[in-house]
Amino acid sequence: MQPLNRDAVIAIVLLMVCGVLFWETFSIRTPDYGQMKPSIWPRTILAVLSVLSVIYLVQSLRHGEAPKDEYDDYDTGAPRRPGIAGWIVHWRNPLWCFALFFVYLVTLPYLGSLIGGVGFVFTLMCVLGGWAPKRLILHAAVALGTVGGMWSIFTYGLGVILPPGEIFSAY
Amino acid sequence: MIVENVIAAFAEIGNVKTLLLMLVGVAGGLIAGAIPGFTIAMAIVLTLPFTFGMPPSQGLATMVSVLVGGLSGGLMAGILTGIPGTPSSVATTFDGFPMARKGRPGLALGIGVWSSFCGGIISAILLVTLAPQLARIGLEFNPWDYFMLVIFALTITASLAGRNLVKGLIAGAVGLLVRTVGEDEAVGMARFDFGNDALLQGFDFIAVLIGLFAFSQLLRDIHDPVSAQKSLSEKGSINVRIEHLAAIRELAQRWTIVLRSALIGVFTGIIPGAGGSIANILAYDQAKKASKHPEKFGTGIPDGIIAPESSNNAVEGGSLIVLMALGIPGDVTAAVMLGALLIHDVVPSPTFIAEEPVLAYSIFIAFFVATFMMLGLQSFMLRVFVLVTKMRMYVLASIILGFCGIGVFAINNVEFDLWTLLWFGILGFVMRHFGFPLAPMILGVVLGNIAELNLARAFAITTDLSPFVTRSWSLFFLILAMFSAAFPWFQSNRGKKKWTLFFPTFMAFSLALPVFMMGGTVRPILALLLVALGAYLLWSHARNGWRLEEVSEPRAEIDEA
Repeated sequence: MQPLNRDAVIAIVLLMVCGVLFWETFSIRTPDYGQMKPSIWPRTILAVLSVLSVIYLVQSLRHGEAPKDEYDDYDTGAPRRPGIAGWIVHWRNPLWCFALFFVYLVTLPYLGSLIGGVGFVFTLMCVLGGWAPKRLILHAAVALGTVGGMWSIFTYGLGVILPPGEIFSAY
Repeated sequence: MIVENVIAAFAEIGNVKTLLLMLVGVAGGLIAGAIPGFTIAMAIVLTLPFTFGMPPSQGLATMVSVLVGGLSGGLMAGILTGIPGTPSSVATTFDGFPMARKGRPGLALGIGVWSSFCGGIISAILLVTLAPQLARIGLEFNPWDYFMLVIFALTITASLAGRNLVKGLIAGAVGLLVRTVGEDEAVGMARFDFGNDALLQGFDFIAVLIGLFAFSQLLRDIHDPVSAQKSLSEKGSINVRIEHLAAIRELAQRWTIVLRSALIGVFTGIIPGAGGSIANILAYDQAKKASKHPEKFGTGIPDGIIAPESSNNAVEGGSLIVLMALGIPGDVTAAVMLGALLIHDVVPSPTFIAEEPVLAYSIFIAFFVATFMMLGLQSFMLRVFVLVTKMRMYVLASIILGFCGIGVFAINNVEFDLWTLLWFGILGFVMRHFGFPLAPMILGVVLGNIAELNLARAFAITTDLSPFVTRSWSLFFLILAMFSAAFPWFQSNRGKKKWTLFFPTFMAFSLALPVFMMGGTVRPILALLLVALGAYLLWSHARNGWRLEEVSEPRAEIDEA
């Protein structure tokens, strides 16, 4: 038996999401006023999405996986190592971006947007561009100048209070 | 009336502070447009938080300036490095880069700059004159018509945004679904909040747009470790002077190409879902077909630069016509502009131009003034562009991601928006990877509540569904939506299957019915013209013995910017 192709798996995931959300629409309260129930619009969209997902599933089962040029516009065509290690190496730059942004958000209440922002931009540049001593200085200067400048414009120029963080607010 | 409003608008934005901000906006837009991977929509989104504290006319004039600058910036990179800065300047590279390599980069840039200027001015004039007329037509729209207009906008975007219509429609539906999270706008009931207070507020759509669009686009640019280390200046020569006088002479000799291409641009901008990326290819193709020397296209001739650059700058004028008159954004850039307008408490609608004429005309005039500023700033910004191109891609991407983090928070001062940015960044990245176009999803997010509100209003009037097919405008948009959904099949089978010969005829006949139903004097005549057009197409095919013609036109398909 042929394993399911990638498009078929996506279609099945979409159908499952539709099912969960459709179930969730039954917990939407209906007020005594208004002609259109608040659940009608989401249900309509979910019904359309489910039909489209079924068509997508049938398409992918009948025609097989979509041609390479139809998706994977990140693929550079470079040879990939097999296994999870290969997958991680192939996607390392985006994975670093997501991971570092996640850390930035988690630490935001403590570090604040200035220290956290500078740290995020600096670390990301080092991870993507290298840790050579000359580059470290350049990355630090760029991170401090750009994020610091942006932070100053918002804080002093536009009067927007950005998250100060526990460290910064202590001073 | 128009003249009075234009004068009042000039007075509104004609102060030193606003003009300075507009200069900065145009300059920023020029640089943003010039950097491949940094889209105009991204530039507008990042400018948005800076404009919060400004009066609406000032803030919106700044945003429009970024838009105009961005539209023209793409030509610098395209001509000098061969890499189009934006998808709307793809065709510019076909002749711009060869001309630059032949030793005339200054002339190529000059032609590009002046073509952009002419395209922008023509479209600004049409914007000022056509938007109020379209708004008057928009006053005829009832909730059923608006709902169908949104459906049409989504369908045509889905059909043009990707090779696979089903994926496009799925993306559009997901976008609509995203907008349903939180309290519904009609009666205020919680939906899909899963007991979470943050979700009860719903996703801020600017955060969603930045996540889907900017975040995923940046990751695409740095995904490959080798290209992430590269800088733009490694390709081509970028040390030149713009030859203005020689360029003006070339344009004067080819004014018909300028005019035709600008009109193609405005028309493409008016159609929801289309945009600069289609217009520049379409205008290039038309210029080639109309030329006495089509074989010279691609070798570095002025016609090949004039056509795409006149059209891509005219597109946003057309897009703004629909946005300002009907409140419906035609493409991603217009969707972001709509977000900018809403943040400044400006809700575009058919009544907006009549009720807030000074503000509406300020936006139109800002478009006009910014086009002049773009012309003056190009030479100067070329030097800045040289500096920016020395930066490595990973440095640019890191800085922009850092800016996104600050800018998104500044919109509502809510940390949850930053999480929205991350989750939708991941979603956008995954969707792009699996071949789902993002443009329909973005339009779905933006248009979702407009569709729902109008559906709720329609149901408040009557629960009967027949007005969707008995009201002329609703039927008109329904037919357009159906034909736009079928368009990908038509496009892929054109020249191969007999039924494609009947597609345009059938469309003309079908549209004639609702146009005839609209009544009055002019519209029934238009309906008769549509019938005549359909009959003529049928007759011409019959005369050719129902022969299938070879299709050489470029495929109409929009890119994600």
